[in-house]
Amino acid sequence: MSWAWLSVGGKQIRVAIVRAGEGVWVGWSGQSKYFGPERSPRASAEAVEREVRAPMTGRVALVGVAPGARVRINDVLVVLEAMKMEYRLAAPRDGVIESVGCKEGDRVDLGHVLVTLAP
Amino acid sequence: MKVLVANRGEIACRILRTLEEMAIPSVAVFTDTDRDAPHVSLADDAVDLGAAGEYLAIPAILKAAGKSGATAIHPGYGFLSQSTPFVRACTAAGLTFIGPSPEAMEALGDKRGSRSMAERLGIPVVAGAQEVDQLSRAEEAAERLGYPVLLKAAGGGGGRGMRLVRGRAELREAHAAARREGMASFADDRLILEKYLSPARHVEIQILGNGRDVVALGERECSLQRRYQKLIEEAPAAQVSVSTRKAMSDAALRLACEAGYRSAGTVEFLVAADGSYHFLEVNTRLQVEHPITEMITGIDIVRAQIDIAQGAALPSPVAPRGHAIEARLNAEDPYRGFLPQVGPILMLHWPQRPGVRIDAGVCEGQKVGSEYDSLLAKVIAWGNDREQARRRLVEALRELVLLGVVTNQTFLIQVLESEFFRSGQTTTTILESHAWPEPPVPEGLSTAARRWLSPAASPAPGGSSSGSSPWDELGGFRVGS
Repeated sequence: MSWAWLSVGGKQIRVAIVRAGEGVWVGWSGQSKYFGPERSPRASAEAVEREVRAPMTGRVALVGVAPGARVRINDVLVVLEAMKMEYRLAAPRDGVIESVGCKEGDRVDLGHVLVTLAP
Repeated sequence: MKVLVANRGEIACRILRTLEEMAIPSVAVFTDTDRDAPHVSLADDAVDLGAAGEYLAIPAILKAAGKSGATAIHPGYGFLSQSTPFVRACTAAGLTFIGPSPEAMEALGDKRGSRSMAERLGIPVVAGAQEVDQLSRAEEAAERLGYPVLLKAAGGGGGRGMRLVRGRAELREAHAAARREGMASFADDRLILEKYLSPARHVEIQILGNGRDVVALGERECSLQRRYQKLIEEAPAAQVSVSTRKAMSDAALRLACEAGYRSAGTVEFLVAADGSYHFLEVNTRLQVEHPITEMITGIDIVRAQIDIAQGAALPSPVAPRGHAIEARLNAEDPYRGFLPQVGPILMLHWPQRPGVRIDAGVCEGQKVGSEYDSLLAKVIAWGNDREQARRRLVEALRELVLLGVVTNQTFLIQVLESEFFRSGQTTTTILESHAWPEPPVPEGLSTAARRWLSPAASPAPGGSSSGSSPWDELGGFRVGS
């Protein structure tokens, strides 16, 4: 980790830099950003349409659907809990549940596929 | 006296520092994931709660107290701080609980009980209903009051077990979620329902009691919230009229006297746009935002709690001096729905400035996990007036560096610099009613970062040889590592 002065648009700003695996975290003027490879596996465009992924690391508090279930847009699929707060993951569209990739009480990582909708 | 602090994070560290100052021996407790957390090394003694240990496990904490020879317990906030079974178990084990009696906790800490008491004392309350554990009763009450309504865990606090319900269609799911969250957070799934009062300011009165007498230490304005959790707080509440503040302070003292309140507590109110005030609830514990009251009164509230537990007199109320503002630094992404963030803290630099206090619960190298609260640290600034406090806080947040986890640092600066904050137009809904775009990354900076990422850019910054670093090519110079 280190500090550097960087000239941006004619202004000198103080920048903090630290390595993080293949990437780098940079902090300046109260902002920070990670540059480098994705920190969670990225889904293909086709998969994005069908997969509901964990937007954060946490615990599965509730699974509201089973494979074969018919859902309407905004129906609750899974409730995740992290840092003592619950987050509701809803159906992105009407459809049928193809598979459920978690059960209540599971710890899941960011990007984990929780529910897959049939195409 | 030897005090076990039954908590973690910034509040455990803050309590341990006052104990050290008072030369009272201290004991920390920790779970497996917190083995290297800063509160563990700040205490004179530290006890492992065991493999299945949790900060909510009463038997494990009592066992730790017995093993370490502690004679008193400070619960901090959250966890067991408002658990009457815990207070009673402490007493039965011969330990002093640094907080209110279980009777006062039941009378005031329970949202149902305190609403009833406020009504009996003629203190205005938000329109609501108490017996709504059954969905059908909640539906009836919501129809009668009119949507939107708020469902709240009766035994809860800190925004947990709370759900805004805008219409009948949302009630069933919100009801189940509020009960589930109440059970998970406080082992209590009873609910109350209230009319949603908006826009409003959230104003609270800090009280200290010794079981007979009670003093008020002024108010705090805590309107800026997200997900019903406070984000920025200030004292005094300069935008609320002196007469309304006086009326709320008197109401808080009446409630606390009626309950024979001992130790520190907070009585919360909503102030509507027309200036009318409405009792909300009582937090029968030390609160997260207590430092802003400490900054303007000079009273160490934790020290007062410990003194009161040892039978000392209450501090005299003092005239507040200046203005204080607190910002909560959380591991969350404000530009992506405030989703909690995890990761290792790779680099940490705290600001060092006149009038600035940092209450932190994390250190470099620590991993922020998803098990606990997202609060990493509180940055608090004092000034002779509100504007000086605001400017000091903004500069402190600009200086602060925390790398490795996404935080709300930049968002806090945006809010403090916004026109509505500068002019004091803070209400409970104003954060949600504004768009908060993520500020762009300066062009030169992303170029530098990308070039540094490429394999040709080695050695890494921080190495002793710096000739090939893009930072130098861009005309910068290294000042240290």
